[in-house]
Amino acid sequence: MSSHSNPSTAATPLDLSKWRSLPTRLMLVGGILSLIGLLVPSYREQFSFSWLVSFMFFLSLCLGGWFMVLVHHLFDASWSVPIRRVTENLACQVRWMAVLFVPIALFAPRMYPWMELSANHTPDHALHAKGALLNIPTFYLASIFCFAVWWYYTTKLRFWSLEQDRTGSAECTNRMRMLAYFGVFAFAITLTLGVILWMKSLQHQWFSTMYGVYYFAGSVWLTIATVYVITLVLKRQGPLREVVQETQFYFLGSLLFAFTVFYAYIHFSQYFIIWNANIPEETFWYVLREKGSWWQIGLLIVFGHFFLPFLTLLRIDVKLSWLMIPLGVWAWLMHYVDLQFNIMPILHPDGFVLHWLDIGSFAFMAGFMARNFMKDFAAYPAYPQKDPRFAESMGVYVAPASKTPAAKVAGGAR
Amino acid sequence: MGETSKPYGIIAEFETAAAIMHAAEKVRDSGFRKWDVFTPFPVHGMDRAMGLKNSKVGWFSFIGGATGYTSGMLMIWYLNAVDYAIPIGGKPMFSPHGAFPPSYELTILLGAFGAIFGMLFLNRLPKLHHPLLKHERFKLATHDRFFVVIETGDPKFSETETRALLESAGSKHIELVED
Repeated sequence: MSSHSNPSTAATPLDLSKWRSLPTRLMLVGGILSLIGLLVPSYREQFSFSWLVSFMFFLSLCLGGWFMVLVHHLFDASWSVPIRRVTENLACQVRWMAVLFVPIALFAPRMYPWMELSANHTPDHALHAKGALLNIPTFYLASIFCFAVWWYYTTKLRFWSLEQDRTGSAECTNRMRMLAYFGVFAFAITLTLGVILWMKSLQHQWFSTMYGVYYFAGSVWLTIATVYVITLVLKRQGPLREVVQETQFYFLGSLLFAFTVFYAYIHFSQYFIIWNANIPEETFWYVLREKGSWWQIGLLIVFGHFFLPFLTLLRIDVKLSWLMIPLGVWAWLMHYVDLQFNIMPILHPDGFVLHWLDIGSFAFMAGFMARNFMKDFAAYPAYPQKDPRFAESMGVYVAPASKTPAAKVAGGAR
Repeated sequence: MGETSKPYGIIAEFETAAAIMHAAEKVRDSGFRKWDVFTPFPVHGMDRAMGLKNSKVGWFSFIGGATGYTSGMLMIWYLNAVDYAIPIGGKPMFSPHGAFPPSYELTILLGAFGAIFGMLFLNRLPKLHHPLLKHERFKLATHDRFFVVIETGDPKFSETETRALLESAGSKHIELVED
């Protein structure tokens, strides 16, 4: 049917068995490196910042997955039914992020300068004004609140989805829809809260009303690219072979394109408003990020996070081509660089440094999250089994039971 | 006048979206070039059933957008930095950040112009008259009927064979359309 050359149409599954142990190995190597950073006092500061960057990276994937589930229910979408189990399982990994948050909770008093000011009762003017949120009890309580909300919504959404696999009841769809309705508000509030507390308050004097949206745009961008690649692998390997079709890949590609532009729009707006107003209370954040090689990193974000994917995705046929795989890898790299740009200039104001603890903590979390995701994915059916919109997502029309001609029903009964 | 001139084409009527899809696939596979399908609503997958390639409008839009962005940047640079320098807030005379919002809006404007005028140009619109508009039953194309029209100008057109093809596709109502 298709004239496009989609890599997913290749018939033979790839032999991925030799990659099976990769997550465990990553976890092991990364775990050892991180442990050294944790235990050796001179590395502890670098470790806590490296850990924060990796933590925010994998949090992006979990929250992005949750967002895709929410949007699926809010729009009553049919196309995303076959990929929903992927995003549901991705979202549910957020419970492990609570575990990975422990080192940040422990080292927070050294990472966030405002905590020291707050503890010594010597707040500067900015901290005095922002004290309602930026105080030590609120920091921990709000963090617990975020994880609790995320755990509740992600597990509930998957619970009702799995319940529908069993019963096929429309009630489950209604439940998920209500969860999505309240969930999207919870999503916006908690994501903003989390990113303000954990990333933005590293420089508590700074102002930006875009910051939550900024992290959200980058996170969903990363997640769409990741879901594309995961779905492609699952289609080739079998579990989603019959159910995922060109439509799903095309729409994921289009969404990726949209979020490429959306991210650029948000980041440019943040920069432009600060540049234009030219007030020292705001500009210092970007001034720090123009020092040393951070200048080049900033340009890399402009051209690599926006221009390259934008120009690549502009053509309609790219969204179904092999180019989407290198683009997925590129999205991981760019989002990581973006988070480095946000977090690391505080520790390394002279320029970008790729420390072995960056690689260690990232490898550990990548292995840990991949293992957990694969375990979850293998434990449940690979796609929603009895979703009312399933046939529609496959492009098949099924007449509703109420429209079956009465005579035929009567005839059948006789 | 109508009796002596060559007819415009042959029109075949279908009753369902599925029927018109199959008919379109048949006509496409027979290698016709000058033909079209008319439906009361967009039928998904029709572009493939007709063997249509991706529209070229995108190129007009792209060129329009690129022109808009470049001319916006050049205009602001020339006006504010060269022709009549205006120092504002200690900022450079020209900065791509400051010039970006208007250039971006010009990108959208000229991109949209490219799309609409490119579409009109490729469709050879506006057109004051079309032979199909005289055809009585063709009005149903905006109601509940589906039509395939094959022009006599198509190199593969033959009145008897084309009629037979459309009949075999399941049309019960086939007529010639006057020019």
